[in-house]
Amino acid sequence: MGNLLEIRAVAKNYGPVVALRNANFTVAPGEIHALMGANGAGKSTLVKILTGVISGDAGTIKLNGEEIHFTSPDNARKNGVAPVFQDPALIPDLSLRRNLRLTNTNIAKFEEKIAYLGLKINLEEQVSRIELPILRMIDLARALAHDPKLLILDEITAALPANLAEVVIRVMNEEKARGNSVVFISHRLSEIGEICDRVTVLRDGIDVDSFNTSEGDEDRIVSAMLGSKITSAESKNRSASISKEPLLTVRGIKDGDKLVNIDFEIYPGEILGIVALEGQGQDSLFDILAGEVSAKAGEIHFSNKKVDFSHPADAIKLGISYVPGDRKTALLPQRSIRENLALTKFRKLRSWNWINQKNEDSLVDKAVSNLEIDTRASSQVKQLSGGNQQKVTIGRWITTGFDLLLCFDPTRGIDVGTKNQIYKLLSGLSAEGKSVLLFTSELREVQLVCDRAIVLYNGKVQGVFDAAKADEELLLNAAYGRN
Amino acid sequence: MKLSLREQYWNLSILGLVIILTVWRSNQLPVFGSYEIKTIILGIIPIALLAMGQSLIIIGGGINLAIGAEAILINCITAKYSEGSDFATSLRWALLGIVISVIVGAVTGWIISKSGIADIVVTLATSFVLIGFALFIQPGPGGGVNLDFAKYFIGGEDSYLAPLFVLFLPILLIWLPLQKSRLGISFYAIGSSKDAAFLSGVNVARTRVSLYAVGGLFAGLCGVSLTAITQAASPFAVISNTATLNSVAAAVLGGVALAGGVGGLFGPALASLVLYYIPTIMLGYGIDPAYSQIIQGALTILVVLVGGLLRARGKR
Ligand SMILES: Nc1ncnc2c1ncn2[C@@H]1O[C@H](COP(=O)(O)OP(=O)(O)OP(=O)(O)O)[C@@H](O)[C@H]1O
Ligand SMILES: [Mg+2]
Repeated sequence: MGNLLEIRAVAKNYGPVVALRNANFTVAPGEIHALMGANGAGKSTLVKILTGVISGDAGTIKLNGEEIHFTSPDNARKNGVAPVFQDPALIPDLSLRRNLRLTNTNIAKFEEKIAYLGLKINLEEQVSRIELPILRMIDLARALAHDPKLLILDEITAALPANLAEVVIRVMNEEKARGNSVVFISHRLSEIGEICDRVTVLRDGIDVDSFNTSEGDEDRIVSAMLGSKITSAESKNRSASISKEPLLTVRGIKDGDKLVNIDFEIYPGEILGIVALEGQGQDSLFDILAGEVSAKAGEIHFSNKKVDFSHPADAIKLGISYVPGDRKTALLPQRSIRENLALTKFRKLRSWNWINQKNEDSLVDKAVSNLEIDTRASSQVKQLSGGNQQKVTIGRWITTGFDLLLCFDPTRGIDVGTKNQIYKLLSGLSAEGKSVLLFTSELREVQLVCDRAIVLYNGKVQGVFDAAKADEELLLNAAYGRN
Repeated sequence: MKLSLREQYWNLSILGLVIILTVWRSNQLPVFGSYEIKTIILGIIPIALLAMGQSLIIIGGGINLAIGAEAILINCITAKYSEGSDFATSLRWALLGIVISVIVGAVTGWIISKSGIADIVVTLATSFVLIGFALFIQPGPGGGVNLDFAKYFIGGEDSYLAPLFVLFLPILLIWLPLQKSRLGISFYAIGSSKDAAFLSGVNVARTRVSLYAVGGLFAGLCGVSLTAITQAASPFAVISNTATLNSVAAAVLGGVALAGGVGGLFGPALASLVLYYIPTIMLGYGIDPAYSQIIQGALTILVVLVGGLLRARGKR
């Protein structure tokens, strides 16, 4: 049997930036094919060329042996290729129903798929009011509603908590069982071996390796992805002597039915992990701590003082920094990497009479090199690959300084090499006495970087665990409310 | 279309304001009968049509500073060539004028897409060009139109039905079908997020051309209605500039977000009543028109402020 999809020698330049050099990629019918690569390797570019969002500079694409050239995602969907892009492709100011109109999606079929994914959705809801993980699932339902032969999922699981990620994996397996194919892009290596039949690895716009998952393991993927520069993750050196005075104490906070009653504390130099399935109150908790909304009840003490934030600036002034989950809300998409990194710095610099350009430059350079940000397209952040945008979001806080860092899924969409870099960075911060509250949807991060972890369930603390003992199974059980 | 709660509140407050002003105005007049109502409607038709065109463009993420000039150009063309003509000729010129306006709009949108220069800059430039053309065609006040043709706009002696039709027909025939169509949704889409619109399969450049073309359609209707109502052409830059400013003010007052992607055309149509009333009421008290400009400007700023605050709170 022939291949369903055959991509040959595709290349794409953005001015001086080479996004794809020479990419080859084939997908067989009924196959789940992982497309891997470090941040900026060209995965999303390949997806966009295939689905007609942009056109390539060279190369051929064959679907069922016939050469094709889709002119728009609409065109691709009609021909059985349905993408879920890395960036949400829903119009924020429109209702869901009108968004579906825009993509010529059959409403009845969409609703059927939403039910199939186990979700409940109001079609009149405005998209900007829907939370990111649910938006990703809506994007998936919309793609499925077009009955694709080839489903393309670009980092869909990156923003998803365990329960929804499981749903996506179930969907992929069922598509496969129906004889359809799936292209799956993810930076979570553990997902690959389990569910994919074949892996193709891109590096710097070239396919450097392609093999059946039975023939190779994670190490083979990683070494192909990163070339020579492999860094391994080391578990955190847990600070034995955590002082007795907490930096932050949270007592009895409530927020409607989202947060029922939350108590916990963070000590100086501690990295406290937060684990929860979708919608257990974690968004609310972070919004409250960052000063974006105020709690309906309860008290927050910071450095032994009772605090009451009415604005994010209050929290920032005290030394609480927030890396939000949705990078779109944090970045100035049309400004340069440099400006985005230095942005929060300006607040501090203003109090001096003189902007110390040298000082700023060196801080920015430090962030860029620490996080290995791909600066080839540095004039506008929106031109960076998704992972590199995420790095800029984190890097901003390195240039600022803080006592408590609130991180919401900071390694989402970041490749293994840089992930390890970020883990090191967090450990380094904690060694300096800084505290970090880290929400993570990748459970293994708890053991890698945290000192303790709390699990939220139904707006309550379901359990507090010593990170050393908190393996994925334990955390997952608690996250499902079983213990 | 289902309006959000915020939009509903907004429209209701504008409606409240309109009612207050209407009562106020009616108390100023010795009699308030169908003739007076007709005068009011005739007064707001041009403002409302232009406001709708501008609102649509703002919803689509643009702004057209030449929309007043477009209307004046069409006013001049139709008034010049319809002077002393028969009904058919007047009608033909009216239709031709609207077509020209649509084309002018489309070309404007095309230039913006092709050049990548900001809407505000391109349309500021085209406004000069269009006023230049208008003056070239009709160097001073003058022109006219077939009276039977004008009757379709101004109606009979005391009946305000015809003007009411002229006001509502564009909403019924253009806006209602448009906002349900894929094209209309695409307008909102490119105004809300060009990137997401692009990924949803919207051809952003082509949609922008249509956006400005439909804006031109409203400007053309405004120009033709000016000809029919005033039975003359008035080729003055002051008029077109004021008209453009009013159209933006009505859009903002009517709940259209300057950032794009939010709002509708009912609100701005309603808001143009407010913009009509303020100078008329003040004139009724014998207050210097300059003051009414100040008040109108202040009101617009206030509305932008309140709108911005509401929006900021809604986000939290
Ligand atoms: N519009 C654009 N203009 C300029 N450069 C671009 C543009 N879009 C992408 N690039 C560049 O092309 C390269 C490949 O980007 P791409 O988004 O395909 O990476 P990716 O493999 O999907 O990475 P990630 O894992 O971070 O999502 C990057 O260096 C990126 O900066
Ligand atoms: Mg990508």
